[in-house]
Amino acid sequence: MTGADTERQHRLSPGAGQVVLVPAEPATESAYERRSSYRLTDPGLSELPLEELLNELLVRVQEALGVDTVAILLLDIESQQLVARAAKGIEEEVEQGVRLPLGQGFAGRIAAERVPIFIADVDHADVLNPILREKGIASLLGVPLIVEGELIGVLHVGSLTPRAFGQDDLAVLQIAAARAAPAIEHARLYAELEHEHGVSMVLQRSLLPKRLVDVVGVSVAARYLPAREEVGGDWYDVFELPRGRVGVVIGDVVGHGIAAAALMGRLRTALHSYAIEGHGAGRTLELVDRFVQSLDESAMATAAYAVFDTYTSSLQYATAGHLPPVVISGSEARVLDVTPAPPLGAFPYGRCPDHELSLESSEMLLLYTDGLVERRGVALTAGIEALATAVRGARTPESACALALRKLVPREGLRDDVAIVALQNAAVPAELHVTLPAEPKALAQVRRILRRWLNERGADEGEIAEMTIAVSEACANAIEHAYAPSPATFELHGRARDGEFTMTVRDRGRWRPPRGHNRGRGLSIIVAAMDDVQIDRTSEGTEVVMRRRIATK
Amino acid sequence: MSLADVQITLAPSALIANVTGEVDMSNAEEVGATVVGATPNEAQGVILDLSGVDYLDSAGIYVIYGMRASLQARGQVLILVIPPTSPVHDSLRLSGAERPGEVAEAVDEALRMLDGRPFSDS
Repeated sequence: MTGADTERQHRLSPGAGQVVLVPAEPATESAYERRSSYRLTDPGLSELPLEELLNELLVRVQEALGVDTVAILLLDIESQQLVARAAKGIEEEVEQGVRLPLGQGFAGRIAAERVPIFIADVDHADVLNPILREKGIASLLGVPLIVEGELIGVLHVGSLTPRAFGQDDLAVLQIAAARAAPAIEHARLYAELEHEHGVSMVLQRSLLPKRLVDVVGVSVAARYLPAREEVGGDWYDVFELPRGRVGVVIGDVVGHGIAAAALMGRLRTALHSYAIEGHGAGRTLELVDRFVQSLDESAMATAAYAVFDTYTSSLQYATAGHLPPVVISGSEARVLDVTPAPPLGAFPYGRCPDHELSLESSEMLLLYTDGLVERRGVALTAGIEALATAVRGARTPESACALALRKLVPREGLRDDVAIVALQNAAVPAELHVTLPAEPKALAQVRRILRRWLNERGADEGEIAEMTIAVSEACANAIEHAYAPSPATFELHGRARDGEFTMTVRDRGRWRPPRGHNRGRGLSIIVAAMDDVQIDRTSEGTEVVMRRRIATK
Repeated sequence: MSLADVQITLAPSALIANVTGEVDMSNAEEVGATVVGATPNEAQGVILDLSGVDYLDSAGIYVIYGMRASLQARGQVLILVIPPTSPVHDSLRLSGAERPGEVAEAVDEALRMLDGRPFSDS
């Protein structure tokens, strides 16, 4: 820059030491600028969250112009102040939360007058920001950030040695500003939305199960994905029911946002409560429908609910205006039949007929919400078929959920939220071998494991009942032997061969002779229920081996 | 999920305790204490309704004996309700125990048994 140029620009400057730069029209795009602007307008930038985007822009501007400092100040509309949001070389600006008034000083004037400003010699300039002076910055160049005619902030660069920023530098900085401003605004709006979204999200998360139930005989997995813009009312739940049964439900409250999330929480609780009362799948949904009808607000939801019996592998299911469940069976997956039933809260006395099937060992039931299969311009049945195709061959509930989401969630994000839950009839091992903590509450678990295993190995109802009580009594003995030092465990081993069951319970405690009526009675139950009982007591522990033949069919 | 539940109803002459779920060494004593603790002195007896019990082990049987003893000490009777198909029969049969109280097949039968008792008994 020549002395004459400086002189001319000084004349244009409205304040001492400040120069308002007027860029040549149109900005000359040298090879250098084009290279820089490519880096500055990389489309990948707009994908970044606000903080990362600002940071990345600073690095690229610093690189393109070879400057010592770069800073972005954004306009805070409420206070009408510029707030330092990101900086390189003068990070203190951001750390100290520098706020500058509009209209005064270097950045304030760029923002108020929407003009680029160049300061050749900071010492003589009216720079309000003390950090810039303390740093010993010699020269500054800044441009406004404008989106659709609205000022959103200021981008400025600085040099520690005196530097006459020229038209080329200005052009690069303006290209950076022009490309960065909309991305910043987009990210900022998104961050605000994120906050609102965050509130519904926290609610949604707090209403979904923290941890899926751990029940003998099933393995489960679930996923919830919020929509890109708004949280909806999708929910799922898995819970244990009396007599070795498990309930699994998925639902979708009509509507979005906090209200939908809150209603979802109420429906989830209502359904669980009715289910525990022992109602079947369809009746449980009908009762939830009556509950929705009784609410003051007009509310509607769809749901699919299934009850799986871990002892017998039978599955009962019903739907209310919801999409049909899918069953995965090895390399095949099929869409289940449902009787069309109105959504919950839609019509008085809606009926939800039950359907039954046998969910064989390793087979999986998949429940999902429409967000997963509904795509604009694609028939719903095609979406459901696509889901069935996506999940076939899945071996675990986790992989079924992962496959469904990977293959069906579009790259650009979801328009509606998605919930999916998979329940698998866990394979029953040919031989039973479990180690359990020596605590009374382990007995219930022993019986669940045993009933399932005995059923699978061909024992009939009466045989299952008698062998279960015998083994449970033997385990109760093992738990009684296991006193301190804790933690103690006991083992249960089961084998079925040629119609003969051999059950072994082993502990590492010291044998205690039966005390009172009670333990003596426990032993007599074992002896009465089994054909042959051997008790082996050593200093290592006690082993009870029980045998029984079953009636062969 | 809780293993068992106890629902208590007071009839004019008796306390009816409806037990559902599974009773084993982990909860038998609490179930027994709940029922005995809720029984008013003026009740003629307790009807222990086991129709909803899916499983009863030796610890449960022992507690029922204990209940009978403590009620007897207060001049009250214990009547068990066990439907013919109940798994509780299996437990009692296998344990070789004598019946730990009078047995009815349903609650109304138990109430009739209680009302029919000579008053001098209490």
